[in-house]
Amino acid sequence: MENLDYARLQMAFTLGFHIIFACIGMVMPFFMVVAHHKWLKTRDPIYLKLAKAWLKGVAIFFVTGAVSGTALSFELGMLWPEFMKHAGPIIGMPFSLEGAAFFVEAIALGFYLYGWKRLPEKFHWFTGIIIGVAGVASGILVVSANGWMNAPSGFEYINGEFTNIDPVQALLNPAWFTQALHMTLAAFVATSFGVAGIHAFQIFRGKNVDLHTKAFKIAVVFGAVTAFLQPISGDLSAKDVAKRQPVKLAAMEAHYETEKGAPLYIGGIVDEENRSVSNKIEIPKALSFLAFGDFNAEVKGLNDFPDDELPPVSIVHYAFQIMVGIGTLLMLAGLIYFISLKKKNWLKNKYYWLLFIIIAPLGFVAIEAGWVVTEVGRQPWIIHQIMRTEDAVTPMPGMKYSFFFYLFLYTILAITVTWLMNRQIKSLNQQPQTKPTKNKLEQTFSNQDKPRGVKSSGENKIDD
Amino acid sequence: MLYVVLFFLLFSLLLYVLLGGADFGAGIVELFSSAEHREKTRDTIYRVMGPIWEANHIWLIILLVILWVAFPVYFNIMVVYLHIPLTLVLLGITIRGVAFVFRHYDAVVDQSQLWYNRLFRIGSFVTPVFLGMSFAALVGGKITLTEDFTHTGFYELFMQNWLNIFNLLVGLFYASLCAFLAATFLIGEANGEVRKLYSRRSAFFTVILVILGLILLLYGYFKDIEFVKDFLHNPVSLICIGLSGVLLIPLWKFIKKGYRIASRFMAGLQVILILFAALYAHFPYIIITEEKELSLLEGIATPSTISNLAIMLIIGGAVILPGLFHLMKSFNMIKVLEKPDNTDENEYS
Ligand code: HDD
Ligand code: HEM
Ligand code: HEM
Repeated sequence: MENLDYARLQMAFTLGFHIIFACIGMVMPFFMVVAHHKWLKTRDPIYLKLAKAWLKGVAIFFVTGAVSGTALSFELGMLWPEFMKHAGPIIGMPFSLEGAAFFVEAIALGFYLYGWKRLPEKFHWFTGIIIGVAGVASGILVVSANGWMNAPSGFEYINGEFTNIDPVQALLNPAWFTQALHMTLAAFVATSFGVAGIHAFQIFRGKNVDLHTKAFKIAVVFGAVTAFLQPISGDLSAKDVAKRQPVKLAAMEAHYETEKGAPLYIGGIVDEENRSVSNKIEIPKALSFLAFGDFNAEVKGLNDFPDDELPPVSIVHYAFQIMVGIGTLLMLAGLIYFISLKKKNWLKNKYYWLLFIIIAPLGFVAIEAGWVVTEVGRQPWIIHQIMRTEDAVTPMPGMKYSFFFYLFLYTILAITVTWLMNRQIKSLNQQPQTKPTKNKLEQTFSNQDKPRGVKSSGENKIDD
Repeated sequence: MLYVVLFFLLFSLLLYVLLGGADFGAGIVELFSSAEHREKTRDTIYRVMGPIWEANHIWLIILLVILWVAFPVYFNIMVVYLHIPLTLVLLGITIRGVAFVFRHYDAVVDQSQLWYNRLFRIGSFVTPVFLGMSFAALVGGKITLTEDFTHTGFYELFMQNWLNIFNLLVGLFYASLCAFLAATFLIGEANGEVRKLYSRRSAFFTVILVILGLILLLYGYFKDIEFVKDFLHNPVSLICIGLSGVLLIPLWKFIKKGYRIASRFMAGLQVILILFAALYAHFPYIIITEEKELSLLEGIATPSTISNLAIMLIIGGAVILPGLFHLMKSFNMIKVLEKPDNTDENEYS
């Protein structure tokens, strides 16, 4: 593989890593705020415990998201210097607004984390809301920058020069709305089912059922509602893609021949050499309808595009199938939850909980798949029809080492964060919160004049 | 409008150097403390830095965004030729960032704390060193610009510009500046014995700082490093540095007398003077290569982009700065200095 391939792999890997933490950092604050609100209303200490446990989760995810995001903002330039040189001034607006949103988020987080019992209760709770809103706002803004790569606008491209730059129009590019809507919903779907699944697992094991049921209910409602909206917004996205990037649509559907009343393929094995798809299920005329709202509309096939402008078809097609498949499944899971509101006896059934355990990671899989569709589907362009990815890559050789370096670093980070979450849950399950036993090591930590020393780590700091 | 952007560029650079620097410095002070005082330092750091910890580091992101939006050519050179030291900076930022949070939010306290501590301290030390090295590489005159990447050696293009003694000295200088800042800030947060300890630390790092500064200037002078020579020939820069030397005396008086705000203010002023002195002699020629000096203002974005960015920055600043100030005030980061350090126990409850 060449330098370019490693640079791409590194970008995909670091973004794919970042997006998971970014989603959790965007959505968890809302759960936390709901639990906090319930505590303020009912004064049931379980809700307080829950809010604080989620808060610790938010803090850990927030920082992992922030450092991987900081790395990303360097990386955009370090890996794609030619891209940033020209695109930077055009899409700077969403990024500078994003910077402002991060600031608001960080300030609000400061208030929220350290404000227990020091700030007026209502105000303290409100700062929690700001964390969530600012997080979502920053998510929308970055996605808008990505939308510009798919639907470049707000400038004129004359003889290789970008002139007449209009940053506002670039921010409000034709792709921003559908992409931002779909991404925001996706963050809610994935995080909600993820969190719900973790608590379902604890209920399944019979640990601290009362607390985990409360937690499950808060999370799953968010997930069930957004899982219904997701396919609707996905359909909007598809119609959008059909208009602005027909070649991406053709790749998503593995559609080689241009035809009127085009059928929709479900599944299927793509043979890129022979330009055909086998073992698929065909739904007549459905693709024309889904893409253009007309059963007889013409859908342009891959064969009618120049060879050097085709993305890797099979990757895009499979990724799209995975996303849509998971989307359908999660919608069904949402339906099952709503039915269980009427049929209370389902809650006693262990398969009910097992279902939510199994689907817990699926939302994140769908997010990664969706981004593969968007980003790989745009290839070979880094800016659609303007700049090729190969012309943007850094001239520095040896990206291979850089990639393996990030792979190593982030893998360790991911393992550590998973392990930390496991410990959070374990400590939640210890009914009366027991203090960690003093071992030898801890004694060496704590110093004589102030035995609070190590104990104060987290535990006491935000507990009261 | 360009001036607004330049102002925010320098402003966020300054705040990153000051606040981010104090944050790195806290870890360095911890690293160089005896085992028995580390705990105390650790807790104090958490109390002082905790609430604004995140915000301190966003200045770097603001800085970066301003660079790439308004100064694309400059940013381009930086990210292409300093790829390796910047990657090392990122490594440091990642490690110390997560270690800081892990050690405070891990639900169980056990052996792993040892690792978090170790990583936090070492990360806090190496990150400013690499940051300083990256900055030095920009002005050290060792960058070789080329169009022909395939026929020029890897070492020549991507290594020698940052991996040399001058840059290492600048890196160490910045690290000790961070430690000096942190120690001085911490003095205000402690009482009695511990307070004396920080005073000693602060003195220690001041001495190191002055020594490193002198070595740096001498080395640069004798090795014919243009940046240093221009610096030494520029009266304004010399006055600034002289002034910062003289101001060490009142700083010490304030520390002894226990004027906490005044001593923090003085420490901050020291840094401002040093930064100003370093930049003034060369501004806006902030990239110095083997052949020529490149101006920051070369190849800036179009006027419409600049004015747009300027408006964003003004609006953003108007929203953020009061919020940040309020945050600091709410948690007594400014007022705590006036009252004795007795709130420890109920701080957390
Ligand atoms: C929980 C995650 C999730 C789920 C269940 C779905 N998606 Fe999705 N999808 C995403 C997560 C996602 C994403 C990761 O958020 C993407 C990547 C870029 C974007 O804006 O959203 C995306 C992109 C994306 C695109 C490409 C947009 C573009 O390139 O601009 C289309 C056409 C769809 N989706 C369509 C659908 C449909 C028809 C679904 C039906 C069930 C669906 N998605 C479920
Ligand atoms: C966080 C969610 C994101 C994910 C998971 C993601 C995923 C990917 C993937 C899989 C690639 C590799 C495509 C290929 O080369 O085959 C890629 C490339 C890239 N993405 Fe995204 N992306 C995300 C968001 C963004 C955003 C918001 C930006 C805009 C600033 C962006 C900028 C890039 C760039 C510059 C490349 C390299 C050039 C290219 O291959 O097109 N990405 N991303
Ligand atoms: C499109 C997908 C992306 C989404 C939805 C997203 C969203 C977010 C969110 C919500 C945060 C806040 C951190 C948290 O709460 O955990 C964050 C952090 C960050 N992201 Fe992303 N991001 C995406 C891609 C990118 C890209 C492509 C860049 C590179 C320019 C980037 C740069 C950053 C930076 C610098 C931070 C750290 C700011 C902080 O300290 O909070 N993000 N991102």
